[in-house]
Amino acid sequence: MAVLGANFRRDLEIRRYPALAYALAPLAALVLQAWLPRVLGRFAWFDLPLVITVYFALGRRSPIQGTLMGAAMGIFEDALTHHAIGINGIAKSVVGFIAASVGVRIDVENFTIRMLLVFLLSLLASVVYVFVYRVLLGLDLDWTWFSELFKAIGNSLIAMVLFPLLDRLQLHD
Amino acid sequence: MESFFIRYRNLLVLLGILLVQVIGLAVQVRQTDTGHNTLDPRDGPGVRLIRLWANALVSPPEQLIQSSKLGAGGFWQNYIDLRHVRQQNQELQKTVDRLRLEQAALLEDARQGQRLQALMDFQQKYIYKTVAAQAIGSSGSDQSHVFNIDKGADSQLRPDMAVITADGIVGKIRDVFPHSAQILAVNDQTSGAGVILETTRIRGILRGNASGQLQVVHVQADNRIQPGENVLTAGGDLVFPRGLPVGVVEKVVRDPDHDSQVDVIVKPAAHLDRLDEVLVVTDTEPRFSTQDQKDLATSEALKGPEAAAINAQKKASEVMAEGLPNLKVPNLPPDQQPLLDSSNPNPVARPPQALHPDRFTPGATAGANSDVPADASPGTDSQSADKAKPSSTESVKAAQAGGKPHPPGAASTKPVSKPKTKPIQQAKPQNPAPPQAKPAQANPPDAKPQENP
Repeated sequence: MAVLGANFRRDLEIRRYPALAYALAPLAALVLQAWLPRVLGRFAWFDLPLVITVYFALGRRSPIQGTLMGAAMGIFEDALTHHAIGINGIAKSVVGFIAASVGVRIDVENFTIRMLLVFLLSLLASVVYVFVYRVLLGLDLDWTWFSELFKAIGNSLIAMVLFPLLDRLQLHD
Repeated sequence: MESFFIRYRNLLVLLGILLVQVIGLAVQVRQTDTGHNTLDPRDGPGVRLIRLWANALVSPPEQLIQSSKLGAGGFWQNYIDLRHVRQQNQELQKTVDRLRLEQAALLEDARQGQRLQALMDFQQKYIYKTVAAQAIGSSGSDQSHVFNIDKGADSQLRPDMAVITADGIVGKIRDVFPHSAQILAVNDQTSGAGVILETTRIRGILRGNASGQLQVVHVQADNRIQPGENVLTAGGDLVFPRGLPVGVVEKVVRDPDHDSQVDVIVKPAAHLDRLDEVLVVTDTEPRFSTQDQKDLATSEALKGPEAAAINAQKKASEVMAEGLPNLKVPNLPPDQQPLLDSSNPNPVARPPQALHPDRFTPGATAGANSDVPADASPGTDSQSADKAKPSSTESVKAAQAGGKPHPPGAASTKPVSKPKTKPIQQAKPQNPAPPQAKPAQANPPDAKPQENP
């Protein structure tokens, strides 16, 4: 009966991916996030690094890995802007941690739950971003919540398409 | 204790990472003299290293995507889609010839302007040298309007160089990497450029708002600012040369922070959302470039016969004008110039002076308002009646003598006002007229009847 314990169930549900997927998927997300707004203009309502962070955090179900991945993605995202480095890093660290923590407790195979999670975590990332920028750093920033709402919706739609594609990369024993 | 770290290791790792990043952020922010926090415009060595890594990671794939896109597009445009090219070429050649002639005239004006500016000790910078670059990527964040170009330190680019397109200004270089550079667009919230409204000559600072729109902030409310007015660079920010197009006024909104001020929303002239090729202004000079000089010489050569004909016509006109009598009397003020002078602002017909004044002489007849009966009650209009008394008596006498009464219309002739002129005549020997009063003395029609009543 020990095999039916929580640790065994958790080990069974941890997803494994080829090493190349861990390297290329975040890189592709960063490159596309930097390149697509040039094509789409001001309609680029998405945050691909956030979607990738949530996906791997949900799949791996390790809060530490989710935190580290979120921090790395956020710091690289910050480095491409002219803002201070670390604002997105903090926001995505929190998101990666929460996504992995939630992934341990709920069934993440369900598409609806995945989309809802991505939507809520996108809004959470925006809240943390504004909090750090305005409150923690005390900097001025004009802000429109509509664009953040649209971004959360865009992330959910992208997740709906991207998650099944990334699921195909999964390693099966 | 060990079990505590094991049990809460996830949370501890999160807190550790957050703490490191918060400390890193604190290093990048500094406080201004006014007490506000601001980001340090110059990155520290550690921050710059991270930006360099991120750029080195992202730029090569972006350049690959861009070059493959350009390659495919170029193959189609340069080898397949070549319809009507010959006809377009001929039309363009005609346009070039016409523009050269126009340019010659404009360069002459510009030369004159430069001479005047030199006299005023004002250095006007002109774009002298540019480097064409390709936009390859953006920040990916709608809060940060920066983008990358495929030229960097290897093309002698430096921070704070202006970036423009043929349509208008785009931004300035914020950071330079070995093979790429980061451009801060003018519609970012942290950017700033000095601008001037073309018609109203109102100056202001251009920056972006949260929606990525351009706005001229903190402008004093002025009804003359209307949508459609062109906005140009003012040239005072030491980044953009003066007179470059920025955009057109889209609307004017109230400044939320100051009641008496407005924000002017500007529609950008350049397509800031979808930039492709840009020009980096690497050098500005206060004179014409070599290419400008060549173009001027070419256009001078092209317009030679035409210019010679115009000059000959101009000379002939001057010779004819010299032969004509001068219609202006230099000693007379403008309101007393001869009637044929078109510059005379007051062309009122003046009657010739009579050799022997009589009752029909202009000035000797009373005005229409003074043609009142002799027994009229002075109480009705005592002032006018008092003034008109001598003249009205004369007109009544003339009527009794059988003379034709003066028509009311003739009352427009200027009556001589003796009480007014007399003090002047008396004061004349005491106070000689100053030099500037000379034309008034040389006015014979008015002065003679008063001096010889």
